[in-house]
Amino acid sequence: MPFDKLVALLAEGVRDTLYMTTVSTLFAYLLGLPLAILLVLTAPGGLRPVPLLYRVLDVVVNVLRSVPFLILMILVIPLTRLIAGKAYGSTATIVPLVIAAAPYVARMIESSLREVDPGVIEAAQSMGASIPAIIFKVLIPEAKTSLIVGATISTGTILGYSAMSGAVGGGGLGQIAISYGYNRYQMDVLLITVVLLVVLMQIIQVAGMYISRKTDKRIRE
Amino acid sequence: MKGVRDLALIELQHLTKTFRGKTQTVEALRDINLSINQGEIYGIIGMSGAGKSTLVRCINFLERPTEGKVVIDGRDLSALAPRELRKLRQQVAMIFQHFNLLQQRDVRGNIAFAMEIAGLRRADIDKRIDELLEIVGLTERQHNYPSQLSGGQQQRVAIARALSTNPKIILCDEATSALDPQTTASILSLLREINRKMGITVVIITHEMSVVESICTHVAIIDEGRLAECGTVESVFSQPQTDAARKLIFRGAGKTENLMGKRMVRIVFDGETFNEPIIAQLVMQCHVPVNIFYADTRDVGGKVFGQMILQLPEDRLQQDKVIYFLKNRNLKLEEVDGHAL
Repeated sequence: MPFDKLVALLAEGVRDTLYMTTVSTLFAYLLGLPLAILLVLTAPGGLRPVPLLYRVLDVVVNVLRSVPFLILMILVIPLTRLIAGKAYGSTATIVPLVIAAAPYVARMIESSLREVDPGVIEAAQSMGASIPAIIFKVLIPEAKTSLIVGATISTGTILGYSAMSGAVGGGGLGQIAISYGYNRYQMDVLLITVVLLVVLMQIIQVAGMYISRKTDKRIRE
Repeated sequence: MKGVRDLALIELQHLTKTFRGKTQTVEALRDINLSINQGEIYGIIGMSGAGKSTLVRCINFLERPTEGKVVIDGRDLSALAPRELRKLRQQVAMIFQHFNLLQQRDVRGNIAFAMEIAGLRRADIDKRIDELLEIVGLTERQHNYPSQLSGGQQQRVAIARALSTNPKIILCDEATSALDPQTTASILSLLREINRKMGITVVIITHEMSVVESICTHVAIIDEGRLAECGTVESVFSQPQTDAARKLIFRGAGKTENLMGKRMVRIVFDGETFNEPIIAQLVMQCHVPVNIFYADTRDVGGKVFGQMILQLPEDRLQQDKVIYFLKNRNLKLEEVDGHAL
């Protein structure tokens, strides 16, 4: 493959991978955040325990998380068609990515929110804080550092999923690695895509950790 | 029956709290009746596990009592809708052993928090924060975060936060237990100042007798979920009626096992009798040796109190001499046995 064509191909791959990852992460958080808050509130000993609802949400999250991503992608093809109009390509991949990532993200957020000191929550209650006030003024801001770390890990995981999706018609670097590296034995292309994925993962990781550290007020100066 | 007007600021009536677990049931509070009036500094003391933390959480309904009533300022808390209860809690501020500040907000932000919940306007909040920083002496630390403050400073932030909504009552849950003695003294004097200047009623939960002695006007003793005794600090300290009270008041009195069975009396000195050399006179006039088994002086609400336990000689006649002498001196006197210590 001529060099300029290869560069164009890889650039497109990076762009598609970033597109899938960011949009999926965004939607996963849109679904995962309310889900996590519901889990925390309705859990036994939570602010508004609803045991039945909690059990149902808990099971749904566990079931979704235990289906391997590749199989989930195939399972939800009808739904993907319905939403994206087709079952292959970057945009279509976003559908299974969100379905797989949302419960993962919900668990991440749930565990971050649970780390918040119960004493601070009790203090807020003693001041007459309503549940929304506790969520938005105590739980989320106090868990901020942990939430950012969780977002970093989640984004990395979604990046990995997006590459995996190349095996069954997803786009981006994963697809390039499969169709050039695996199907056509072009080891050089395969290696470059791997290097690019590693670089992307590193950037996400380093940036996420930097932001979480910078915004944490618990560290003594 | 009392009319609404006669009700104390805080009325606890037949308060019972039972925690039902899967395997066991714990009766944390049993039929507690207590009245706390406006302007008092009320100490609630008990050994750990006595139920005092549950009791204070019932006062603002962080814990709902299983039975009985909590009436604050004439309002029965169990009859309030959730919104009204939250509104009422702005009148019943609370400070905690571990301060419970928001770690991600600075001093100003933490003080603002309670007012944000109360729905105050930003401009008013900022003005009030400046006043409160002045009161608790943290103006220079206003942009620091809790992790940069000492325990005493953090508790001052918590006090400022508690005061911000102009409460009628401040509940203190072991508020000085995590602090060293010097810092404890400064926090207690701040609480006393708040009580005197602003007329805020203070309820102090503690396991430390010294806290009650140094600032409380009244004290309730909680023992195994029951109210053992309550009243003014003076009356409870000088004439404790129950074993639970005696145990707390004489804690640290030393080993008693080897002296059990011998006759002992407890004498209480108040401000007037305190300066007389009573024991010296006793020994010289009665020609009877006594053993000072335990002696202590305490500053209770600004008055000096002394108490002493004397071990009397074996001889019955000599014992009576001593008791006769002491009674003639108008000293408060009672016989104690080793068990009560």
